[in-house]
Amino acid sequence: MSPNRRVVIVPCSGIGKTFGTVSREAAYTVVEDLRPDTAELVALSLLVLGDEEARAAVAEHPTITIDGCRLACATKMVQESGFTVARSFTVLDAFRKHRDLKPEGISSLNPEGQKLARVLAEEVAEAVDELAKVYPDNGGSDADSA
Amino acid sequence: MPILPKKKVGIVACSGEEMPEGTVSRVAALKVLEELRPNDTVTICLPLFLAGGEGDRAFARFYPTVAIDGCEKRCAARATEMYSGKPAASIVVTEVVRRNGLGPIRGSRRLNEAGMQAADLVAQEVARLVDQLLGRTGQKATPEAVVEEAAAEVPEDEEGTITLCSCGSGIPVQKVSVNGRVVTLIALPAIFEQFYKAGKRPGGGTTQELLEVTRIYNPIPPEEEAAYAEALAREYEKYCRKQVKGVP
Amino acid sequence: MEFLELTVDKFTFRFATDRYYHPDGVWALPEEDNRVRIGLSDFAQQSNGDVAFAEVKPVGTTVAFGEEVASIETIKANVFVPTPVSGTVVEVNQALEVRPELINEDPYGEGWLAVIAASDWEADRARLLDAQAYLERVREIAEEEMKKR
Repeated sequence: MSPNRRVVIVPCSGIGKTFGTVSREAAYTVVEDLRPDTAELVALSLLVLGDEEARAAVAEHPTITIDGCRLACATKMVQESGFTVARSFTVLDAFRKHRDLKPEGISSLNPEGQKLARVLAEEVAEAVDELAKVYPDNGGSDADSA
Repeated sequence: MPILPKKKVGIVACSGEEMPEGTVSRVAALKVLEELRPNDTVTICLPLFLAGGEGDRAFARFYPTVAIDGCEKRCAARATEMYSGKPAASIVVTEVVRRNGLGPIRGSRRLNEAGMQAADLVAQEVARLVDQLLGRTGQKATPEAVVEEAAAEVPEDEEGTITLCSCGSGIPVQKVSVNGRVVTLIALPAIFEQFYKAGKRPGGGTTQELLEVTRIYNPIPPEEEAAYAEALAREYEKYCRKQVKGVP
Repeated sequence: MEFLELTVDKFTFRFATDRYYHPDGVWALPEEDNRVRIGLSDFAQQSNGDVAFAEVKPVGTTVAFGEEVASIETIKANVFVPTPVSGTVVEVNQALEVRPELINEDPYGEGWLAVIAASDWEADRARLLDAQAYLERVREIAEEEMKKR
């Protein structure tokens, strides 16, 4: 993890339903477009299978999970791997708030799905800001200037 | 008539978000599942698999799986092995890229052209593996690892014993003696029942037919085909005798 | 509660044996005083996916066999829910307003949709399937789906 990035995002990236694709797209939107200096992705499978770098990132930084569906695989597995989830989001909840944005497609999202991912990403970005304030010293020497 | 489960292949992709090769694995898997072999493949959702999705895990214990990984860390293959059984085949995107001399893959979120090309190549390779595993090509696929895993979980019973495969699929298995050793054959009781109800008499062409159907669910090494045929003929004859006598 | 089970690929569907089923995936469980509780079958909830919204006709609504008694929106589909029994809606599961996911989590229990005061339960029951017959229907649907793919 880059020293100045202070919040970890773990999406489920499920492949069986459109939800997983929205979670993945939302996560990319946060780390590439909305909060590139503060948030960084960690792959769930790396974390669960014991990758040291992934585990260190989650251990040292507040973690936000983005799950597709109610099974909440990302949240469950971060917790079962022995870490704390600072905030969790689900695509299903986002859809409940934005009924007009019905996502479709797993390999490529329809425009509504992309909008839903964006809306969800904006919510996540707010959570990133809050967590970055609460944990200002996490992650490295230049954290304060980030 | 009993319904024999159609043999399918599970596809597990790592979908790693941090590197473009992870996205290649995802795109390739979806291409196989949605376009190239939709009737023969089933999605294994890696996060659900990790989180204890019993349906996914049971499926992967009974059926062969192909793991598609972005990098050498092989998360998808390792997870499959850890929770179900060794994948029948494992593909690593970086190797395919190197082998085919593709340009640098970029864009975890939106793959560049080389990335899309890699996804196509990986998907084609997976489709070929699926065909092999389903016995559709000249080269016989022998997914021993997966089938052995399922069989290994069956309690050590006597020859002829019928039990349910403990992979959770509810599929019956039967132990038979082949060349002096006891092997577990998946779905054999259902195959026998199907043949019997179709009025197929033991011996003659039935034995060859039995061998072909049994092969769909079980790896049969070419050098042992004759021994398997003999065992199947013997067991089917016993089965038919029991039906006639009304022995359960 | 006892169940029959059907496994198709990686999916296992359960069928509670104590009730009747409309072929379109709605169960009906007769209770006392001619009341019949209804809900979505496990197969219906699994094949339609996670429920985002569930809207059941309000108490007092009169419904005839097969008419819409609820509409359910999942991320996959908008589901028309036909009533397996004619009569008047006398109770609606209020919990679904805040937790529609109960339909997925517990389709035969807490995820029930409504209770209907039946106008002619015996006649309706004759048009419904028992668990075994409904399982066979689901098997057919699953096979048709496979052929379409």
